[in-house]
Parts: sequence; structure tokens; C-alpha cells
Amino acid sequence: MNVLSIRTARGVFSLALICSSLAVAQTQTATSRIVSAANAFLATLDQKQRQSVLFAFDDEKQRARWSNLPTGFVPRGGISLKEMSPAQRSAAMALVSSALSPKGFEKVQQIMEGDEVNKINEANRPRNGNTGNPPNPPPDKDGNGPPPGNGGNRPPFGGGLSADLFGKDLYYISILGTPSEKDPWMLQFGGHHLALNVTIAGERGVLTPTLTGAQPALYTSNGKTVRPLAGESDKALALLNSLDENQRKQVILSYRLADLVLGPGQDGKTIQPEGLKASAMNERQRAILLDLISEWAGIIHESAAAARMAELKADVNETWFAWSGPITADPGKNITAYYRIQGPHLVIEYAPQRLGGDPAMHVHTMYRDPTNDYGRRLTAK
Amino acid sequence: MNRRLAAAAAIVLLLGAPASAHRLDEYLQAILLTVEKDHVQASMRLIPGVAVSSAVIGSIDSNRDGIISEAEKWNYAERVLGDLSLTIDGLRLKPKLVSVEFPQPEQIREGLGEIHLELTADLPHGGPNRSLILENHHQARIAAYLVNVLVPRDPDIQIVAQNRDELQSFYQLDYVQAADRSELPILNWWTTFRARTGAVGFASVFRLGMRHIAEGTDHLLFLLVLLLPAPLIAFGSRWAGSAGVRQSVFRIMKVVTAFTVGHSITLALAALGVVRIPNRPIEVLIAISILVSAIHALRPIFPGKEAGIAAFFGLVHGLAFAATLGQLGLGRWERVGSILAFNLGIETMQLIVVAATMPSLVLLSRMRAYSLLRITGALFAGSASVGWIVERSLNAHSSVDMIVDGVAHHAIWIAGVLFAISIVCWSLPNLLNPPATAVDSPVR
Repeated sequence: MNVLSIRTARGVFSLALICSSLAVAQTQTATSRIVSAANAFLATLDQKQRQSVLFAFDDEKQRARWSNLPTGFVPRGGISLKEMSPAQRSAAMALVSSALSPKGFEKVQQIMEGDEVNKINEANRPRNGNTGNPPNPPPDKDGNGPPPGNGGNRPPFGGGLSADLFGKDLYYISILGTPSEKDPWMLQFGGHHLALNVTIAGERGVLTPTLTGAQPALYTSNGKTVRPLAGESDKALALLNSLDENQRKQVILSYRLADLVLGPGQDGKTIQPEGLKASAMNERQRAILLDLISEWAGIIHESAAAARMAELKADVNETWFAWSGPITADPGKNITAYYRIQGPHLVIEYAPQRLGGDPAMHVHTMYRDPTNDYGRRLTAK
Repeated sequence: MNRRLAAAAAIVLLLGAPASAHRLDEYLQAILLTVEKDHVQASMRLIPGVAVSSAVIGSIDSNRDGIISEAEKWNYAERVLGDLSLTIDGLRLKPKLVSVEFPQPEQIREGLGEIHLELTADLPHGGPNRSLILENHHQARIAAYLVNVLVPRDPDIQIVAQNRDELQSFYQLDYVQAADRSELPILNWWTTFRARTGAVGFASVFRLGMRHIAEGTDHLLFLLVLLLPAPLIAFGSRWAGSAGVRQSVFRIMKVVTAFTVGHSITLALAALGVVRIPNRPIEVLIAISILVSAIHALRPIFPGKEAGIAAFFGLVHGLAFAATLGQLGLGRWERVGSILAFNLGIETMQLIVVAATMPSLVLLSRMRAYSLLRITGALFAGSASVGWIVERSLNAHSSVDMIVDGVAHHAIWIAGVLFAISIVCWSLPNLLNPPATAVDSPVR
């Protein structure tokens, strides 16, 4: 009886604890959750690590120090997961997770996992078996490193080097400014085929510019087939297929596009849009277009994503869709065509890469708001 | 030698010659154009792929000392420039290098080096429709070209079309450029239309049209004198009582519209070069038109046919308007916009004059004293026209212009006084008006 009552009391107590913590979580805004996660992460770091992670909010060099290339080629700021203890690593990933939607975080994890697969693939390739060192030293604290992430052209990769170039632990985290619920600050997380630039300004969250990519773009992990950028490929193809012949004529460009036009280093530029304007689409096609856009706009946490989608929805009639390349894809695989979505506050590019291999297996994508790089529209004084 | 390079080279060897679409490495050459009114900028990023980097470095580092010297940088940039061709409206442009930026050879070797070239070329003046063609043939065998244009900052420049060949080696940019938009902030379609049709500002031609009517007293005199008897009824060979307000207004509008239709037709035809008539006879004919309408104002010679006469002489006046427009020396398509602007200017001024005088004419026409105004006006116009006929046909000098201009200079005062008198007379009908003579039926 006594034991039972103690158990009951304990049960009630723990139930109450869960409820109250849930209630606290409910009253917490997204920003306060991210700030707590950031502070929790920073608390796990030693003095030296913290110095490496923290930058000034307006550090333009660090802001632009991102790329599609492996970190061995274009060193990022901050510290990598590889350099962290397990506790630090999980705090870092908890921080990244807090800033993203569950779907967005899953996409990020799949991109990272893909790079791990890539590493194994590369290591298993018959090569000379030599090991090389990353050609560039990491940048020092004053940012006097090599020039930040440019697009690069066809990076070399190969045998024995893969451990230095690839893998899910070669992702870097950095914080620009001080995590705050009021003042603007930034969280950067990225490595090969990934560059997340999250600007937090009060309750607002901005994800532009952000780069995602995948190589291999299709792999098997724990018996499960994974395609990190499946939505980006399949929804685009669905949109193309939903168009009538006349619309297609406008969408499909007559020329080849070898790479991203507004890749790394091309902040704040607005090119003349091409293709088909969504005002010439029907309601269903516009819905597919918005759903496709949400693959990028929905990476950030839900409340910021909802605000962003509302903005892009308002712009939809001024949004263009253009396509260059094959108009079909092998079942279950990515498209091999380039496409671009451009609106007054949006540039999305999807650019398959042909590094001698199957372009369906390697893709770079860019997500931008030329009017709001690094949340400038929110943080301008 | 770098091992990564060796690995990449091995892949090239494994996969075969870099001629297929799936070539491993390419020389990416991305150009972003910025178009302004008087110049065009080209921002070039050149990124050699790993497998072609040695060849590219070799062509840059001409003395093969492993260092890219300042001279070698500019040398290479000039060679790239030589492989470009840039034309505007078929005219060859001479782009100049503004800046060159080279990475370390080591970075190029890694496939990470971006060469940045900034070019600029002055654009000569041209029509509103411009066509810029950029061709890039640099290292064509290994190149992957990209060309795009930034959305013009200048709202007067609007991109119309971009055309490329499959490789983007050939790029054509069509755009329209308005001369100046400082004048009338009208709708977008109008800006485009104007940009397409008129390099001369719409508003300036519009004002020219207004001024032409306001200062070209002969046109105005013709119209006003023709309007003098408009509110009256012809009774045999004499002008009798007023035709009534509604009828008067209707007739005035009919005369004005007919005149407008007439001069619009010939203005358009002459301005587009369809008809070509020497200036002098037209000027004489205009003077004659005034004489004819002055006589008509004294004694009805074509009662009820005023509109037809207005339209006929309108044709003559239109030819004179065209001569004025011709002095601007515009191209044919620019003229289309200009004709519209000029004619709207004429119409606007005409309406202002009619609006200023019509109430007075209609009100005063109900009184006996109106004949005084009518006869004075007709005699003034008649004598002026005779003076002009003599002057213009003999190419002689007279003081007619001076006198008429002197009167026209006080036109606003005259119109104002006339209006004041008409209001006074109208409000005191019993004092001055004869018993009702108004007839509200059309007169044939």
C-alpha cells in the first residue's frame, strides 16, 4: 500500500513535471528555443572553441564564407563536428535542429549522410592510395584565409583523399553576433553541398542565401533508399508535366546551362528572369510551383517558413519558371535538367553536375532572396 | 605535382576524351551584363576546370616561371577580350578592361581559381530599340559559357528579349530605352510605347503642339472666326437671331471636331511622308481659309456647312502642322509617337481656347450687340488674312504679324473682358435683349 502510494505520488509528480515542461515549451517561441539551444551549445565549448565559433554579426567575410565545395578546398569558419566531443556534437545538432523544421533537418541529415556514403565510395575506388592534405589552411580569426567560397569548377576528388574531403563530420558551425531574442544574429552550418545561413531577428527567421546539394543524390542507408533532394527533383518534373504545350515552349530554354548562375559569391544580384511567368499558369500549376518552392522555403522552422511562404505566395504571379535540359527522368532518380524559379524576392536554381558521372547523381541547388541576403532587409538600420 | 590533379587526370583518361557532353572538366566562363543608357558593363568569371587548368595556366604564364605577373594578367585579359565580340545595333563596340583579378596558379590548378575581368564599353546614341550582341569564342573547345543580364537599374531601360545559341557562345539582348522619363509619369504601357516610338520626349512634343496653336495665330484666327457665326441662324443673306444654347454648343463642337479630324489626317500623312506639299502655297491657303471664314462671318455664304468647310481647311492646316514637326528631324517611327503627342498638344490648346470663348459666344449671341462683335472680329480677321495673303504669296514683309500678335498677346484679357460682358448682359436680359428670338430647331 505504502509502496503503491509512493509509486502513485511519483507518477503524479512526473506527470505534472512533463505537463509543466510541455506548457513551458508551448509558451516558448521559436526564437527563444533557438536562443536556448545556442546558449546550451556555447556552454559546452571551452574558451578556445568558443572563440573559433563566434564572429561579429556584420562580419561580411564570414557571412560569405560558404561554398558547395568540400571543406578541404574551401575552408569554412567556425569549428567542425569532427573537432567536437560527443556532447558538444549533440548540442550543436540540437541547435541546428531547433532552427529548422523537422523536414528541413531531415534533409540536412540526409545531405550529410550522403557525404559519408560518398567518402566510403571514394575510399573504395581503386586509386594510388595516397593521402593528401587539404591544400588551404583554415582561415585565421581575422578572416585572412583564402578567398571564400566561390563556385569552383569541377573539384577533383579521388582515392585516399576522401577522409580529408568528405564525411558527415566535416560540417562546420558558426555563430555571428550574440544569440538573442531581440537583436539580430546568425547561425551558419555547412560543409560539402550544404550552406545554411540562418538569420534570426526577433521572431523573424531568414534562410537566404542557402545552398543544398547532394552527391550521391541517391543512396542506400540501413537498407533504406534515400534521395535527399527528391522533392526538389520530382515536384519540378511534376510541374513541367502539368504544363500544356504552349506553356512548355516558354518554360524550356533553348540553351544549355552548365552551372548555377547565382552560386556562391553572387550575393544580391538580380538577373533578368526568363521562362514562363506563373501568371500564365492555372491554379493547380501555381499550387505545384508553391509546393516545389516549399522544399527550400520550408527548411527553416515552421513559423519562419510560414511567413516566408506567405510572402512568396503573394509574389506568385510575378514568379518565373525556366527549364534547360532533358524533360524526363529515370523512375526513382533525379532529373538531369537545370531549372530556375525566380520572383521579386526569390531565386531558386537547381543545377545537376556532370563530373564525368551521372548528372542525376550529383546536384547543386541555390536558394536566394536577392533583396534579403543574410536578412539585410530586417537588420538594415 | 599535386596528387589530386593526378587523380583527376586519371579520371579524364578513364572516361575518355573531353569532347563528349559528359566531359569531366570544362572552362566555365560566366558573364553578367549591366546595361546603362550610355555604357554596358560585362563582369566575367573564368573558372578553369582541373583537367584543363594546366593548359589555361600555360596560356596565362607565358614565360612559365610559375608566377602570374601583372603583365601576364593584362596580356591574358586582352586575349580574352580579343575573343569577345560586342556590337550594338550592328555597330562594333570597343570594350575596355577596367580591372583584372587572378587567383594563385595553385588555386587554378585545384579547379578553384576564379579569374575576374571587368569590362566596359561606351554605347553610342541610338534609337529607342536597341540590340546588343555578345559573342564569346574564348577557348571554345573546352568552354562552358553562361551569359545573363542584370535587371536594369534604370527604369527607362526595359529588356525585351534574350536569345542565345545552344552553347551561349552567341547572345543577343534586345531592349528598349526611353529618352527621358522626367516629364509625364504615365502608365507603363505608355512608357514602352513612347520608348518604341519617340526618342524625343513626349511632353516636349506635346508642349510644342500647344505652343504651335497658341502662337500660330493664323490657325486660331481661322477657328475663332469660323465659330463667330456658329450660334446664329442664317436668314437669307443675313445672320439673324441666336440658335439657342443647346444648338449653339452643338454647332461649335461640330466645327471644332471637323477641324480636328481634317488636320489630324493631313498631319499624319505628311509627317509620315505619304504626301509632300511645299510650304509656301499651304501658308497662302491658310490665309485664304481665314478670309473665307471672315466673309462667312459677315454674310452667310455656306450656312449649315461650317463643319464641312472646317474639315476641308483643317486638311490644309494639318499640312502646316506637319511642316513644324518635320523640322524636328525625326525618324519615321519616332514620328508616330511624336504625331500623337503633337496632335494631343494642339487639341488640348484648341479645347482651352474653345472653352474660354464658347460661353461668351453663346451668351452674347442672344443679344443684338453680338453683331458688333461678329463684324469687328470678321473685319479684323479679314484684313489680317488679306495682309497675310499678300505677304505670303509675294514673300513680302508687312506689319500684319506684329499687329495680330499684339492682339493675340492680350488674348486672355480680351477673352476675360468678353466673358465679363457676356455675363453682365446675360444677367440683365430685359435691358438689352430683344424679345425672345431663340429658336431651338436646326436650321438648314
